[in-house]
Amino acid sequence: MRTLIMKSVAALALTATVSAPIAMAADTAEEKAVKARRGYFQVVLINAGPLFGMAKGDIDYDAEAASTAAANLDALAGMNVLNMYPAGSDKPSLPGKSRAQDKIWSDLDGFIGKFQDFGKATDGLVAAAGNGLDALRPAVGALGASCKGCHDNYRDKDF
Amino acid sequence: MSKVSEPVRERVWDPLVRIVHWSLVITVVAGFLIGENMSFANIGWHFWMGYATGALLLIRIIWGFVGPAPARFSHMLTGPRQVIDYAKTVRKRSPSHWPGHNPLGALSAVALWAVLAGLVITGLCSESEDFFETAPLAGYLPSDLRLEMTGLHDDLHEILVPLVFLHLGAIAFYHFWKRENLIRPMITGWKWVRRD
Repeated sequence: MRTLIMKSVAALALTATVSAPIAMAADTAEEKAVKARRGYFQVVLINAGPLFGMAKGDIDYDAEAASTAAANLDALAGMNVLNMYPAGSDKPSLPGKSRAQDKIWSDLDGFIGKFQDFGKATDGLVAAAGNGLDALRPAVGALGASCKGCHDNYRDKDF
Repeated sequence: MSKVSEPVRERVWDPLVRIVHWSLVITVVAGFLIGENMSFANIGWHFWMGYATGALLLIRIIWGFVGPAPARFSHMLTGPRQVIDYAKTVRKRSPSHWPGHNPLGALSAVALWAVLAGLVITGLCSESEDFFETAPLAGYLPSDLRLEMTGLHDDLHEILVPLVFLHLGAIAFYHFWKRENLIRPMITGWKWVRRD
C-alpha cells in the first residue's frame, strides 16, 4: 500500500514535470511572429557579420563572399516583413520575449520607412561588395547606420 | 556677524587634480558626442574615450586616498550635518572661500565620478548590435546580461547629462550670485580661502 502511494505520487510528479514544458511550448500567434522575426534577424546577422568583419579588417576581403552576403541581405531587405509584426507582439504585450516598442504600430509608416532605408543600404552593398575593400567599407557603414536608425527609434535596449 | 578671518590665497588644487579634471572634460564630452552620433567609422573612438575616462577615474580615486588634503575623500565627504549647515548659507551673496570642495559640491563631484565609473563598467560589458562591435568584457557575458549592460549604459548617460548641467549651473551660480570664480582655481590651482 505504502509503495503504491509512493509510486502514484512519483508518477504524478513525473507527469507534471514532463507536461509542464509541453504546455508552455504552445506558442500563440504573436509569439510565433516574434520567433519568426528573431530568426529573420539571425539570418541578417549571419550575412552582415562577415561584411563588418571585412570592413574592420578582422577577416580578409573576399569579393565573392562579400557579394553573396550582400545579395542575401538585399533579398532579406526586399521581404515584406509586416506579417511578422502582428498587433500584440510588442514588448509591453510580450515582456521578456520582444524588444519591439509599441511605437511600431502607432507609427507604422515610419517603421516601414526604416525597412526601406535598410533596402537602400543593401542596394549600395550589392553595387559595392565586389569592387574591393575601399568600396565595401562605406557601404557597410551605411548598413550599420540603417540598423541603428531603426533600433534607436523602434526597439528597446533590452527585453 | 560671526567672526571671520581674512581670506588668503592658497594653492588648493594640485596639478594632478587639475590635469585629471580637464582631461575628463575632454574624454567625457568627446565620448558623449561620439556616442550620440555613433557610426561605423567612429565607434572605435568612443571605446578609446571610455578607456581614457576609466584610467583617469582610477587615478583620481587612488588620489582621493593618497593625495593632498583637498583632493581626499576624507576631506571632502563630511557628513549630513555639515552639508545641511553649508546648504543654509549657500544663498548668501558672498564667496564661500572654501578651501577645497564644499560639503555640497563634494556630493556633486562624487555623484559625477560614480556615474562615470558606472558608464565605464557597463560600457566595457556592452555590445553594439548596429555596428557588430563588442567591448572587451562583453564576450565573457551571456547575451541577456550583455543586453542588460548595454541598456544600463544607455540609462546612465541619461543621468550624466543633468549631473553635468547641475555642475555647470552651480559654477554659474557661484560666479554670478556669490561672485566667486571657481573656474580659475581649477586652472591655476590658486584659490582665495578662509581658514576657520
